[in-house]
Amino acid sequence: MKTVYSVMLIFLLTALAVAPQNSFADDDHHGGKKEKRWFSSKTLGQVNNAAYLKECGACHFAYQPELLPGRSWEKIMNTLDNHFGDNAALDKATASEILNYLVSNSAENISYKKSRKIMSSLPDSETTLRITETAYFIRKHHEVSASVFKRKSIGFAGNCIACHTNADKGDYDEHGVTIPRN
Amino acid sequence: MKILLTLTAFWLFASSGVSFSASRFNPEMTAFVEGLEKQAHKDDSSFKGFDAERGRKIFFEEHPNEKLGKISCATCHTSNLKNQGKTTAGKAIEPLAPSANSKRLTNVKDVEKWLLRNFKQVLNREGTAHEKGDALMFISSQ
Repeated sequence: MKTVYSVMLIFLLTALAVAPQNSFADDDHHGGKKEKRWFSSKTLGQVNNAAYLKECGACHFAYQPELLPGRSWEKIMNTLDNHFGDNAALDKATASEILNYLVSNSAENISYKKSRKIMSSLPDSETTLRITETAYFIRKHHEVSASVFKRKSIGFAGNCIACHTNADKGDYDEHGVTIPRN
Repeated sequence: MKILLTLTAFWLFASSGVSFSASRFNPEMTAFVEGLEKQAHKDDSSFKGFDAERGRKIFFEEHPNEKLGKISCATCHTSNLKNQGKTTAGKAIEPLAPSANSKRLTNVKDVEKWLLRNFKQVLNREGTAHEKGDALMFISSQ
């Protein structure tokens, strides 16, 4: 069984490797969105909501909304007074603008492959608040030990951009990963 | 004569306390600080104006924190406000000191938001007008 998986993986990786590279060149353009969707296994969208980038991105990496289902974003935005132990309260108008952006681009509302995989790794009965607790994330990072995540320049598993240096562009591809040594 | 007038004007301005402290800020921020002053008076009639030294104490005072054990403003902003800080989630915080970052203390909406959030974060309660004003005096002196 393991061999079958390995063969499938190699096939998949080869398919990705031969994909035309120039399609990634226009990541910043909205016009590129269609293409990006086609390369759904490689990239997510680029966060483009100013309020989300300013308010949420001030403290932590601005995670793509496609990484969690709408129900998770709703719960997060409704509990900002205790946001993983921190106070992240926002005024109502800003909070509702951000929630609207997050939900309309959430994992179940967008057709990226990664989003579909995250969705299918989540039981319907659960409302996960941490991307790092989704079965998909855990599976993808099983080779990374807890001590690596604790390195000073990384801090915790949710600091995507510490290793995925193009994460802000929606690119989480393994080949772009550079794990800081300390 | 002109020099004398200027000096007198400066002396009047400097000695008035309230206006002097507020003069560090743009008009929008000045109005905000004056609002805090009014509120501080209302809360305590013996209030005599904001004080950067009290603000410094507030900034460095440690408080118990569920996640980190202890927390102060300096935990994230570092003890030198001219330096870049770091959030607990690993993101860089641009210097808080206006002398190192001219954008600081210029936008009332942002200042109000962070004062509200960060007092709650560090002291586990909202800051009083008096405390907020003291903290602003300290930060603006850096």
